[in-house]
Amino acid sequence: MTRPGLWRLTAVFTWIGLASLGGGRSAYFHDALVARRRWLRDEEFLQDLALSQVMPGPNFSNLAVSLGYRLRGYPGAACALVALVLPGTVIFLALALFLRHGVTADAGRALLGMGAAVVGLVFVMTGRILRVGLRGRTALVLAAGTFLAVGPLRLPTYAAIATMAALGFWLNRPRASEALTPRDAP
Amino acid sequence: MDLLRLAWTFLWLSFLCIGGGLGIVPEIERQAVSAHQWVTSREFVDAYTVAQLTPGPNMKIAAFIGYVAQGPMGAFAATLVMFVPAAALTALVSQHWAGLRGRPWAITAERTLSAIGMGLMAGGVYTLARSAIHDVRTAAIAVVAAVVLATLRVPPVVVVLAAGLAGWVLG
Repeated sequence: MTRPGLWRLTAVFTWIGLASLGGGRSAYFHDALVARRRWLRDEEFLQDLALSQVMPGPNFSNLAVSLGYRLRGYPGAACALVALVLPGTVIFLALALFLRHGVTADAGRALLGMGAAVVGLVFVMTGRILRVGLRGRTALVLAAGTFLAVGPLRLPTYAAIATMAALGFWLNRPRASEALTPRDAP
Repeated sequence: MDLLRLAWTFLWLSFLCIGGGLGIVPEIERQAVSAHQWVTSREFVDAYTVAQLTPGPNMKIAAFIGYVAQGPMGAFAATLVMFVPAAALTALVSQHWAGLRGRPWAITAERTLSAIGMGLMAGGVYTLARSAIHDVRTAAIAVVAAVVLATLRVPPVVVVLAAGLAGWVLG
């Protein structure tokens, strides 16, 4: 298992940041770091993916940070974050501000159409994630409750998370019966 | 003072982000459009659309809202607090994560937070739909885009750009 230098890491993460368009972005990391370059093993990648999903903050950048940390410690984490976020943000900001100031009626109509298509896109992407990820009645109840609260009911997200997290930690609490699998039982 | 309020808002927004940026879209919209009126509803949807079309994390939308509210300093501050504090916490936990991951309570947290994260994402889809779909035409474009993306292997960017063309021609 070879580990890259800081420059190499920054270059590769910049490229991943620029190449990752649309959904399924963590797959780009797997492809670049595990499959293609063998900088990381599969289980290391999956461990960092799980961490990025539990930690608060934007997922994609958190994944970059924990992978960068694993490869090169804190400097690696810092370089990974800047490399992933900065180039895309500059491109995005330039385009968004250009469209805001220089928007004509034609461009406005095109943006309306694209906005509607983005709704279709996030609907399909989220549907895929939910179909794979929602397992069991508890998960369904927590997800449905959270959705109703922040979507149709327009309640504050922190209130929804606090309530559902309290409920979820109770419903998912570690149970003695689960810890004691038949194999471990005397 | 206004810059501080902006930074504070995006800081706590970043910590509500569980399971993907889409999940805090409803709360960003509440704060940036309804509560503080930093951007209009239309600007918000347009910015999210452009964020989908450009590389990098979607939460770069913070840079746009920050810029419109407070100029370049606002863009810098909003982006910084959106990404850096959460990243620092992730890096700190990273070193202990291998040992923590198998613990029963870590499994409880993982299960609970992933379910909540999925509910939040669905809420994000709902919020975007409410802001971006105004009439039969936009509804039709959204449905066609969803069907195409679900059934054919077309890159999402191509579908979104085609919808832009459709909106321009039909509009």
